Amino acid sequence: MATSESTNIKKIQVRRFKPDENPTSNYLTEERGLWAWMTTVDHKKIGWMYLGSIAIFFAVGGILALLLRTELLTPAQTFFTADAYNQLFTLHGAIMVFFFLVPSVPAALGNFILPLQLGCKDVAFPRVNLLSFYIYVVGALFTLFAIFTGGVDTGWTFYTPYSSSAAGGNVMAMTFGVFILGFSSILTGLNFIVTIHRMRAPGLTWNKLPLFLWALYATSIIQILATPVLAITLLLLTMERLLSIGIFDPALGGDPVLYQHFFWFYSHPAVYIMIVPGFGIISEIISTFSRKHIFGYWAIALSSLAIAFIGFLVWGHHMFVAGQSSLANLVFSFLTFLVGIPTGIKIFNWIATMYKGSIDLKTPMLYVMVFLFLFTIGGFTGIMLGALAVDIHLHDTYYVVAHFHYVMVGGMVMAFLGGLHYWWPKMTGKMYNEMWGRISCAIVFIGFNLTFLPQFVMGSLGMPRRYFNYLEQFQGYHVMSTYGSYILGLGFLMVLIYLTHSIFKGKKAPANPWQSRAMEWQAPSPPPLHNFEHTPVIIHGPYDYHKPMSEFQLGIAGSHNGHGHHEHETETKTVEADK
Amino acid sequence: MSGHHVSSAKFLWGVAIALLFLTYVTVAVTWIHIPEPWNVVVAIAIAVVKSAIVAAFFMHLWWDTKFNLLLLITSIVFFLILIGITLLDTLYRIDPVPSF
Amino acid sequence: MEQPSTLEKKQDHLQHHFVDSDQQFESAKMGMWIFLVTEILFFGGLFAAYIVFRSWYPELFLLASDHLDTFWGAVNTVVLISSSLTVAMAIRSAQLNQQKGIIINLAITIALAFVFMVIKYFEYTEKFAVGIFPGGYYTYEGIAHDQANIFFSIYYMMTGLHGIHVVVGIGLMVWLLLRARKGHFSSEYYTPVEITGLYWHLVDIIWIFLFPLLYLID
Repeated sequence: MATSESTNIKKIQVRRFKPDENPTSNYLTEERGLWAWMTTVDHKKIGWMYLGSIAIFFAVGGILALLLRTELLTPAQTFFTADAYNQLFTLHGAIMVFFFLVPSVPAALGNFILPLQLGCKDVAFPRVNLLSFYIYVVGALFTLFAIFTGGVDTGWTFYTPYSSSAAGGNVMAMTFGVFILGFSSILTGLNFIVTIHRMRAPGLTWNKLPLFLWALYATSIIQILATPVLAITLLLLTMERLLSIGIFDPALGGDPVLYQHFFWFYSHPAVYIMIVPGFGIISEIISTFSRKHIFGYWAIALSSLAIAFIGFLVWGHHMFVAGQSSLANLVFSFLTFLVGIPTGIKIFNWIATMYKGSIDLKTPMLYVMVFLFLFTIGGFTGIMLGALAVDIHLHDTYYVVAHFHYVMVGGMVMAFLGGLHYWWPKMTGKMYNEMWGRISCAIVFIGFNLTFLPQFVMGSLGMPRRYFNYLEQFQGYHVMSTYGSYILGLGFLMVLIYLTHSIFKGKKAPANPWQSRAMEWQAPSPPPLHNFEHTPVIIHGPYDYHKPMSEFQLGIAGSHNGHGHHEHETETKTVEADK
Repeated sequence: MSGHHVSSAKFLWGVAIALLFLTYVTVAVTWIHIPEPWNVVVAIAIAVVKSAIVAAFFMHLWWDTKFNLLLLITSIVFFLILIGITLLDTLYRIDPVPSF
Repeated sequence: MEQPSTLEKKQDHLQHHFVDSDQQFESAKMGMWIFLVTEILFFGGLFAAYIVFRSWYPELFLLASDHLDTFWGAVNTVVLISSSLTVAMAIRSAQLNQQKGIIINLAITIALAFVFMVIKYFEYTEKFAVGIFPGGYYTYEGIAHDQANIFFSIYYMMTGLHGIHVVVGIGLMVWLLLRARKGHFSSEYYTPVEITGLYWHLVDIIWIFLFPLLYLID
């Protein structure tokens, strides 16, 4: 394993290890029981615990969204008071961003898949991994506490001076919850970077690293660089409420715009924490279901890093009308356009991968199609909002709301669902119902567009965001959007039902149902407790579909560190792998 | 192994004495009143040198893998991005774009 | 030391998912460095606030800094640099299997950290006595500037957070000391000493910047 950065070539004896199609023991059958789950340091189980938690938060945030949409059916008050409405949209935003989107792919799917793709037994710091989950839980408890002790009505951005002095409810508990949550995110990122650097299987060089891992690597870099700034910002905000320290509060000589700088220094890169792992999933799925080598491997890998870097230079485009200097406006608007370049590179490479491939439109691939369509719309409207003059008109309207839902739901959630379906057989050992998968995907697509396309239109006509009442001329759009949201909710509910059903009644999944060449599919489904019974050796990249499957199942039978292995009757061959 | 460098006691004492000397220098320069922007520059420069000494020798970066050094440099670069771009706003609030 | 017992010891600390001790050691160290990156950016936010307000109110920083005692600030700098030295010596002792050396050096480090906190305590109480409280509770009238409270808010946030880091450091050192007394560390395995040392040096580095920025404005 690559413990040093040196690249000396070493000859090693390898044998073929066909993945066990009917594993008698796997990670789900070993270490059973509630206590064993709660104290596990196994990355797969921690991934499941994250998946369960984010599913709960997605459901809560989704129900809040449906309540919001229902309230907006009529121009005047329908069900809720204006104050309740403010709390609803704040909680919807905060829960979806901090408790669902940020941990969704890295902490849930990433935790499960990353060590499998690296061919190692676990992440570098398994106990830290468990700790980060419990930090997440504590952060969530603080948020629940905030909800039941007055709620929060500041919007998910907690802008000062409203949040520091005027806002009612329990802003402090909420911001403190998010502050704690940040450490969970930091520890996950830290763990992933070290794991990718230090735990790669023999032969897995950087140019053979799956693109999902490149994406997680870029994401982790953003997590460790941006999240601490959010932490200090929220700490200062808490102190502002507790001691009136006056750094952000204009009444005490502070500067509220400074808060926005600090906040968006995290929260804009955080947008890429949410979307970049989604890009990684798309790369994996698109190559697998086109049965073709990914087009532009390095372009996709490096564009993830480029997005991570450029993402740090553009935060001020959230503040074009906040009163920052016109020089800053100008610079930020210019820099914002740069983000379009690496994102465009990705889209073109994905399309090029599909070109002349034998495309198999299974459910994960359908979600990729949905992603490409919706994310492109979300991306282009983002470029429009980045243009200074256009933003002055569209700022704080439903146009912005529609834009980021196209990127976050249309992009990220679709990629997440694609990845969930793609890896579901590996995670559970069961196949979901393909027909229901496709039907739900279609319903989600229709529901989503019906919800958010009208919002572009009414936003450009001047409907401001976060408003409880509105002019009657917008009612048609709002009604359409609300009915769309019901359809969207139905789609998500169907996904939940047939996936849950498959766990109990689904067909047994083969080790490699998609005939993928990537490492995680060369382990049994579900994988054993320590992922591989042998030490995998990698000689080809994960997208080399032109090479026979047998060359992707090589390994060393050696049982280092006291773990047993099964005997397989296979030929021995020698490969060169750089140590 | 690069990560297991053993420094001699004499060397560690030398590093500490250098740091204490620089502490004396940074206090001493305040007695001679360097004019406005330069006093800050001198104070920061000395602090940077001191930190570099601590990082290189006490924290073993001198002998460590280059990646750990890269991590340290990255954190500094991103701090400079945070403050640099924020200053583009806070220093130019009153005037519009200077060249206009 | 006999061959088998070394081997046993090696397996003792090696976790199941690592191939060898070196991989484990290098991973732990890289993990700590990444954590230090987050610490630098965490304090970076405060330094950014400091720079912005200093660029707005240079005269305030000049006036208010006079109320901080340069002498005690300098003493604390010396104390922290000395403690950095003793931590480095503790790591050296571990690398050379000198059990007594680890314990003595860690003990001195803890003592120095306490000295730092005691000095900080006297500095704080002295300010509280004249009404220099953080933020909204600021009542001191000796500084002729409207935003005097902001300088001290920044001062308390920066030194307070740094102080919390020192306290955490003391906790870690005590934990190391207890383990060292049980003979857990040797030239084969001293990862916790090494990475706690890294943390402690960073706390030192942050003070190296805080001292001229807060105390030495002339």
